[in-house]
Amino acid sequence: MEYFSQGFAKAWELLWHMDTATISAVKVTLSSTFVSLCIALLLGLPLGFLLGYCRFPGRRLLRLISDTLLAFPTVLIGLIVYAFITRRGPLGEFGLLFTVPGMVIGQAMLALPIITSWVAQSVENLDKRCRETLLTLGATKGQLVFLTIRELRYDVAMVCVTAFGRVVTEVGIATMLGGNIRYATRTMTTAIALETSQGEFGQGIALGFLLLLIAFLINALLVGIKRRVRA
Amino acid sequence: MSEIYRAQNLVQVYGTVTALSLASFSVKKGEVVALTGPNGSGKSTLLRLLAFLEKPSAGELLFFGQGDDPRREVTLLLQEPYLLKDTVFRNVTLGLALRGKTSNLKAAFETVMHAVGFEDAETMGKRFFHALSGGEKQRVALASRLIVQPTVLLLDEPTSSVDARSARAIECAVRGCIDSGTTVIYATHDLSLLKALGGREVRLGEV
Repeated sequence: MEYFSQGFAKAWELLWHMDTATISAVKVTLSSTFVSLCIALLLGLPLGFLLGYCRFPGRRLLRLISDTLLAFPTVLIGLIVYAFITRRGPLGEFGLLFTVPGMVIGQAMLALPIITSWVAQSVENLDKRCRETLLTLGATKGQLVFLTIRELRYDVAMVCVTAFGRVVTEVGIATMLGGNIRYATRTMTTAIALETSQGEFGQGIALGFLLLLIAFLINALLVGIKRRVRA
Repeated sequence: MSEIYRAQNLVQVYGTVTALSLASFSVKKGEVVALTGPNGSGKSTLLRLLAFLEKPSAGELLFFGQGDDPRREVTLLLQEPYLLKDTVFRNVTLGLALRGKTSNLKAAFETVMHAVGFEDAETMGKRFFHALSGGEKQRVALASRLIVQPTVLLLDEPTSSVDARSARAIECAVRGCIDSGTTVIYATHDLSLLKALGGREVRLGEV
């Protein structure tokens, strides 16, 4: 049990002194998650709206594929993206392997089906009177799309929080595509795995504590959004 | 008076159910028409067709002699109105904002809120959609229709699920609308509303 207390003491020391390796891992984690989420949102929001709102041949199949991808293992995403960005891969010339942009591609792939499927579901669940009300108030097609998305803003925020939580805590993609390089691509989760395997419980616990704090803040945000939606 | 609506052999079918079958129907400008009839006789379906929310399965529906969609001239108040997740002010002035008429929104808002029986329009305007009672929601939804000054106002049982005070306020507001020359077509079971608004009665389900 002693190493537990030693671990907590070390964690406190690292956080108090703003340890550079710890801060670097936090920065890499938050920045890569933020960028990948923005990319996934940019693609997933219109795609989800299209799948939920429009009726066209193949829509159900696309929904099924998107829903299936929700259970995509992160190591498999890592493997696929690895095959593309490795030196021998089709995108090898861009030198993305073991870089933050390489990780961002994989993380965006992880977040994309979450955003697409949830947005599609939210659009499908939206009260049909919303569309009728907007039409009877004189909305054009463009205004109808804009206002429908605006009406779903709390749902979209909840989707973002969920996707953020999924991406920020994943290990497989960050390890395979980032390479866990200190001060460069090491994230909080990969650092925890590495430091613990090397017997450095202090740093592992410090990062774990920060990850928990982030998860807590995200969930607090989610609760706030849910309250607003229910109201 | 010029003719606003002309319908011939209007039929609306949902799956295997014929929701409406109307041989002929016409409404003149400025006219008040009360659609009556038992549940399932097609009152709401006819209103949805007149609001151009749906296309008829068969038959012809002309608006001012044309088949074009005149959605900005016609507005429908649903039986159970939907309010956007926003303030009362934003809900009521949405129709004007959609038309790009953003000047004097406050004055227009206050006028229309007084018309539907809200004395303190400013306080009411700041309230959120979820903080309203059923009667208040209905009056706010009516205000959002009246503010755009439509050529045709369609009402689907506007007083069926509201308290007596709200019902009187709705009657009064619609009465004012009729007096200003707006064509009003409403569906109702409420005899007191029929008495208050009057108009030509079209009984569906018995044609």
